[in-house]
Amino acid sequence: MSVALPARGSSIAMRFAFRELRGGLRGFYVFIACIALGVMAIAGIGSVAGSLAEGLARQGQVILGGDLSFTLVQREATAQEMTFLKRRGEVSTAATMRAMARTADGRTALVELKAVDSNYPLFGRIELTPGDSLPDALAMRDGVYGAVADPTLMTRLDLKPGARVTIGSATLEIRAALTNEPDKLAGGIGFGPRLLTSEAALRATGLLQPGSLVHWHYRLKLPADDTTDNAANTVASAARAQLPQAGWDIRTRRNATPRLERDVERFTEFLTIVGLTALLVGGVGVGNAVKGHLDRKRETIATFKALGADGARVFSIYLVQILAMALIGSAIGIAIGAALPYVIAALFGAMIPLPIDPSFHPGELALALLYGLLTAVAFALWPLGRAQDIPAGALFRDTVAPAPRGPRRIYMAGTMLAIAALAALAVALAYDRRVAAIYVGVAVAVFVLLRLVAAALMLIARHAPRARSTALRMAVANIHRPSALTPTVVLSLGLGIALLVTVIEIDGTLRKQFTAALPEKAPSFYFLDIPSDQAARFDTFVRQRAPDAIYEEVPMLRGRIVSANGVAAENINPSADAAWVLQSDRGITYANDVPRGSRLVEGQWWKPGYDGPPLVSFEKRIADGLHLKLGDPITVNVLGRNITARIANLRLVDWQSLGINFVMVFSPNSFRGAPHTHLATLAYPGGGTPAQEGAMIKAVAGAFPMVTTVRVKEALDAIGSLISNLVLAIDGASAITLLAAALVLGGALAAGHQHRVYDAVILKTLGATRAMLLAAYGLEYLLLGVATAFFGVVSGSLAAWLIVTDLMHLRFSWLPMPALIAAGGAIIVTIGLGLIGTFAALGRKPAAVLRNL
Amino acid sequence: MNDFSQTKPAIALAGINLTLGQGANRVHILKDIDLNIGTGGTVGLVGPSGSGKSTLLMVMAGLERPDTGSVAVAGHELQKLDEDALARFRGRNIGIVFQSFHLIPTMTALENVAVPLELAGAAAPEKTARDELAAVGLADRVNHYPAELSGGEQQRVALARALAPNPAVLLADEPTGNLDEETGKQIVDLLFAGHARRGTTLILVTHDQALAARCGRIVHLRSGRIDGDGTA
Repeated sequence: MSVALPARGSSIAMRFAFRELRGGLRGFYVFIACIALGVMAIAGIGSVAGSLAEGLARQGQVILGGDLSFTLVQREATAQEMTFLKRRGEVSTAATMRAMARTADGRTALVELKAVDSNYPLFGRIELTPGDSLPDALAMRDGVYGAVADPTLMTRLDLKPGARVTIGSATLEIRAALTNEPDKLAGGIGFGPRLLTSEAALRATGLLQPGSLVHWHYRLKLPADDTTDNAANTVASAARAQLPQAGWDIRTRRNATPRLERDVERFTEFLTIVGLTALLVGGVGVGNAVKGHLDRKRETIATFKALGADGARVFSIYLVQILAMALIGSAIGIAIGAALPYVIAALFGAMIPLPIDPSFHPGELALALLYGLLTAVAFALWPLGRAQDIPAGALFRDTVAPAPRGPRRIYMAGTMLAIAALAALAVALAYDRRVAAIYVGVAVAVFVLLRLVAAALMLIARHAPRARSTALRMAVANIHRPSALTPTVVLSLGLGIALLVTVIEIDGTLRKQFTAALPEKAPSFYFLDIPSDQAARFDTFVRQRAPDAIYEEVPMLRGRIVSANGVAAENINPSADAAWVLQSDRGITYANDVPRGSRLVEGQWWKPGYDGPPLVSFEKRIADGLHLKLGDPITVNVLGRNITARIANLRLVDWQSLGINFVMVFSPNSFRGAPHTHLATLAYPGGGTPAQEGAMIKAVAGAFPMVTTVRVKEALDAIGSLISNLVLAIDGASAITLLAAALVLGGALAAGHQHRVYDAVILKTLGATRAMLLAAYGLEYLLLGVATAFFGVVSGSLAAWLIVTDLMHLRFSWLPMPALIAAGGAIIVTIGLGLIGTFAALGRKPAAVLRNL
Repeated sequence: MNDFSQTKPAIALAGINLTLGQGANRVHILKDIDLNIGTGGTVGLVGPSGSGKSTLLMVMAGLERPDTGSVAVAGHELQKLDEDALARFRGRNIGIVFQSFHLIPTMTALENVAVPLELAGAAAPEKTARDELAAVGLADRVNHYPAELSGGEQQRVALARALAPNPAVLLADEPTGNLDEETGKQIVDLLFAGHARRGTTLILVTHDQALAARCGRIVHLRSGRIDGDGTA
């Protein structure tokens, strides 16, 4: 591969730089690949995320089900509210809730029930198999309401079109499989498959009790003559102004899935950090390649100097070359990254449950280019600065070269500046700047630490007692001699192992958390929507069937935070950890005592029978995230009524116990007379057996058709499979980083190859056998590998622990086996890569090499 | 002080001492060298291997700094110049021909010769380079890369490169060392022709007594000291 020349008239540095590159890009392949990989990761992640965001935005109407959506919890819209909506366009009503579907032979399944009116859907298309008319499918025939079901529900309960299921106290006939539901995403993650029926059928089930956990969605289609975003915003503002007590969640098509968009943004940031790591690891390869290039060009540089080039000119010639290489690498990375959304949409579009709209994102690509160039400069400037001081006398004798030392201050300052710019860019553009700042700090610390580890290894090798074995003696000497491979191998291998162990440990912890052993006292079931008037009977029923199990039951309502400490919810600037509390309605309860599973850390609990102004107990971390303290007022909209309570105390909650707990626990007098249902959990000692759990579901479904039973294991399985998909994306991005690490390692070992050939030839001339040389080199790589792997496992585990406990707020469990296997694998790869080069060195005929020395 | 020239010296060395290496490997290479070379003269530096000939040439070129003493070339005190100023000075005033040619392998013959001219900011560097190559008989090889040229041709390119900026001083370190006798003779003829045409001061390091005899003055070195200095 050769390089085109720049036009005449460009500067001397440009001209000389490109003339020099005519010899081809040999020696730059690792450089280009490292930059290309990192830039590709960042450009690709940015482009895919951009395409996803665009898809979500363009299909906002379809996803939301209207130009605007108004959601109420636990209550239907009043006549006044309906009048408001109908005056502004066409309205479609849908109600969603969880329910138990039962077959005639007693099989049960938790379903996400959705009841719609005849206007549904206002946008998008429902697809059914068989049939194409939803009103037909849902119509009452022979006194039985119709329903359509997600194919997974039909498989789970072995249902065919025409089969019947019972929901609450109504029987529904399944008429078709629901193969496309246009507004499915708006509902978020469901724990069960969809069962779609008519509003009349829902009313017939008897599930609509006061306080039942039902969401009513009113979708509005604006009149055809004014469907602009402005018109949608005007309606939203008018709704807030004219009906301030409604407490509804208003969304416009531009803001159809705010939580999903935030999640995509956050996840993108996480993947970008992994991509940046790939670029940083690649930066080590860049540094090595530049050093190797300048070593090879030593004679040319000296010749330039002998012919009148000053140091600055030599520096600019090679800077131009390095920037040209960085541009080539970045261009390759950008081209692949830009194509990634199209490739993903073409190959996996049907499998991804999100609307991806492949498009070109110049901003993301420019950012990736900037990252690529900054990384190249940050890692190249240091070795490049040394080129300025290569003496012209190097033409006469090699020994004239002074001992290696740092470059001039200006290059050190330039390097620091480039690193600072990289860090500033990563932090400034991050969704969560704290996380990005931690990442930057950790990255710098790891680089410094790895340098220290390499220095310590060389020091230990230098002072190690003289080994009797010649091979071992040679191996130890190779570790500490001048121009040893130790620093580069330790850096690339150490980073690779540390990252691999971090990903493996996080992956393992997440999988264990959501799929394997549950916490010891974790409940087997959550029972939702227990009607107040049946709570005592339900209590007795369950206790009789599971006398040894722990049964807990609390009242539950749903409420939205309207304002906190006088600030409207939409104007609060919450921390990333606490934002979810404001995003939709939350479960709330009232209690006389501190709930189990939580601990009072500030303030006093109210006295039994307290009858003063409403008080609330707030979860400490969430209160901190919302900038709240004791005594601050919180206004919550419950069942269309705003209730204001003061924070009496703060609690710390152990969410992972999976027991019943709430962010907000009110004093019992706060909701006196408000209709509500009860929530209960049942925990078998030592965990329930499938037989026990199956029998209980069946019994409850038969005796209490209104009660929804959520089996914790199934819910965790649903989350687990989602986590698996996320982990897959992380694994993919990490694989790029590992590839970069392997490239750097391979490049470093290849750079040492010339020295190996020289050593091998001289030693063979002096009588060394091939076996001995092989043993010496193998031992060297083994010693380096083991020492570095130890560091990699320790630092990777620490990083995983930090991420899991501090960022994810989960319990960390260290898995020794996968970490050790990863480290072992990395050592084998190192020895393998090292010995491949050595075999070639051993095969060289000494005379041929000696003639050319 | 030896001074065979009646003209203003092109090179003036006084009290030069140079040691290389460290500790037990420290070698005193040049010892108390005083030498004046007049403008436009030809000097052969001869002596056994390790006597310090090449090192003395490097000192004259400003490629090596002596531990003591002063070096003046074309009236400039080299020790007063920093590394970069030295490089610029060399580009304009000193031409060097190496035993191993030291051409830049990725540049054509023409580009190699143009390098010092371009670095010195000369007008029409390519035209001058082309003329210089024609002068050494390589008019038809200007676009060839070093690897496409024979050893003799490479050394002619190196000579053209050294002469192109019209240097005050031309230094040649064993210029025929890597060439056969016939080719070596052609190079030496070109070297002397270039010197005669421009009036450049020529200093030549060689083992070859016949070559040294073509110089107006021969300086003998032995163990880092001037052991003899006279006309050929």
